[in-house]
Amino acid sequence: MDLLWQGLVNGILLGGLYALMALGLALVWGVLNIVNLSHGAFIMLGGYACYYLFSGLGIDPFVAMPISMAALFAFGYLLQRHLINLVIRAPMFNTLLLTFGLDVVLTYSAQIAFSADFRTINPSYAGAHFTWLGATVPLVRLIAFAIAIALTLLLWLFLGRTKLGRAIRATAQNLVAARLYGVEPRSIYALTFAIGAALAGGAGALYGVVSQLNPYIGVSLTAKSFVIAIIGGLESPLGVIAGGMILGLVESMTSLYIGPTYTDVASFGILVLVLIVRPTGLFGRTT
Amino acid sequence: MKRPLARAGIVAAIVVLAGIPWLASPSIVQFGINMLLLAALAQGWNIIGGYTGYASFGNSVFYGLGSYGTAIAMLRWHLPFGVGLALGAVIAIAFAALFGRAVLRLRGHYFAICTLGLAQVMTAIVSNLEITGRNTGLVLPLLRGDVLFYELSLSLVVVATLIVAWIARSRFGYGLIAIRENEEAAAAMGVDTTRYKVLAFSLSAAISALAGGIHAYWITFIDPVSAFDIGLNVKMIIVTVFGGPGSVLGPVLGAFVLSAISEVLSTEISTVAGLFFGAVIVVAVVFMPRGVADLIRRFDKYRWRYFAENVRANRL
Repeated sequence: MDLLWQGLVNGILLGGLYALMALGLALVWGVLNIVNLSHGAFIMLGGYACYYLFSGLGIDPFVAMPISMAALFAFGYLLQRHLINLVIRAPMFNTLLLTFGLDVVLTYSAQIAFSADFRTINPSYAGAHFTWLGATVPLVRLIAFAIAIALTLLLWLFLGRTKLGRAIRATAQNLVAARLYGVEPRSIYALTFAIGAALAGGAGALYGVVSQLNPYIGVSLTAKSFVIAIIGGLESPLGVIAGGMILGLVESMTSLYIGPTYTDVASFGILVLVLIVRPTGLFGRTT
Repeated sequence: MKRPLARAGIVAAIVVLAGIPWLASPSIVQFGINMLLLAALAQGWNIIGGYTGYASFGNSVFYGLGSYGTAIAMLRWHLPFGVGLALGAVIAIAFAALFGRAVLRLRGHYFAICTLGLAQVMTAIVSNLEITGRNTGLVLPLLRGDVLFYELSLSLVVVATLIVAWIARSRFGYGLIAIRENEEAAAAMGVDTTRYKVLAFSLSAAISALAGGIHAYWITFIDPVSAFDIGLNVKMIIVTVFGGPGSVLGPVLGAFVLSAISEVLSTEISTVAGLFFGAVIVVAVVFMPRGVADLIRRFDKYRWRYFAENVRANRL
């Protein structure tokens, strides 16, 4: 029973971070119809930015996190504006392949710049934890969870309540109609991609605090983000939160009751099942 | 390929390729086997990805099933290599036919990701089964015969290319292209889309499985991670898209050109090689989105404007 409770707590804390990781991917996918295979590499870069701000300049990781988000925002904007916009009307393979190429470039650049060693962002309070109803809750994981949920809700408000957010959603629904209403797709696309990259940057900073960074984490993080986006659907950030929680819980329960080697079977098995049964995601609208 | 000159050129190229093992050094023959297997895999992917328009990430599953089918038949049941190859192909075809019905209902990214998920599940299942040797994998009997493997791989490429050449001008192939361009319209015109797609997926599976079987016996060792490697599937896609998806010779050209580039680069520092490889992909996608085959066909007409035209056609 205690074990089950601890597993649930771990799964939910992990799920919040997973949701933030997937949020940018789902946003870009939903609006630009691009599955960004370099999303995991963006997360990795955000993690390294935070790591160097912390270890080099002594900035607290949670203060460094907005800086790393801003850096990724700028990077994402330039990338979309000057590169990805060039192939946006090409067939799906081409955008998939372009972002794959970017992933390769970023991964190897990171290996050259940062070396292949494992890095952890290790502030003085890294080991702090408390007990809640019999379950151990590590402090940094709880903070990471809270920030992740807060950012997801912020994005939800931004998309629903602001003029810019509405323009982004309009572009996702109907590019031609949005254009007729004065939306400039080039900059909206660049902006959306930049927001996606910034969210990845934030997720990377949190990931560096609760886990370990190296240049090769990108691919598996992209895969996880996929799974979450599929489970949650692409329509709303709230669906992504649910998707992240489900994946977090499935992983923690599988490793608890079946065995750690089966976590991938469980999460990707769910992915395949969800796709076959409900291709628009568990919480997506049916078409 | 109506022009007799081009046809004669291709036959001559095959004869030259077939003669290479008797002339070149062992390391070149080994490079050749890898290159030819990649060409065969790309050609297999071309059927489902290039002609039918379904971006499969499941071809590495078929490759893995072919490897394991061959290995299990030879090791556990002591069957000859040829029978093992056939068994691996049959397993892969059965898998494609069985799962294809469900998975091929999905479109676009969803199909791609679902097959990616299948690949992950298969890796994990194989690493937990007794008959497949769990995580440690299987060791096959050693056969020193690079020439044999080379000629086998070459024949596989030739057969796969002939199949694609047949597809390119058969009723079946036109059906696949119709599905790629507009599936609803194809169905409305009387194309049995499900049957066509499953058939294309199964053909693709058979070619991938044969390549996997040949590779397994050549390398004499397989384990779940390398046999079901998603990276290999990504390579098939890169090579096909680089060469020209939905063309007969494109995937083979792509495999030859990219293998040569990465072989030359890998003698340099490997990180820089990887970086350069990524950059080549990015540049190729932007400036020649329809691949080398299309570049060769249309460069005469457009000259250097070809690249600018491509960018203009696809930019926002």
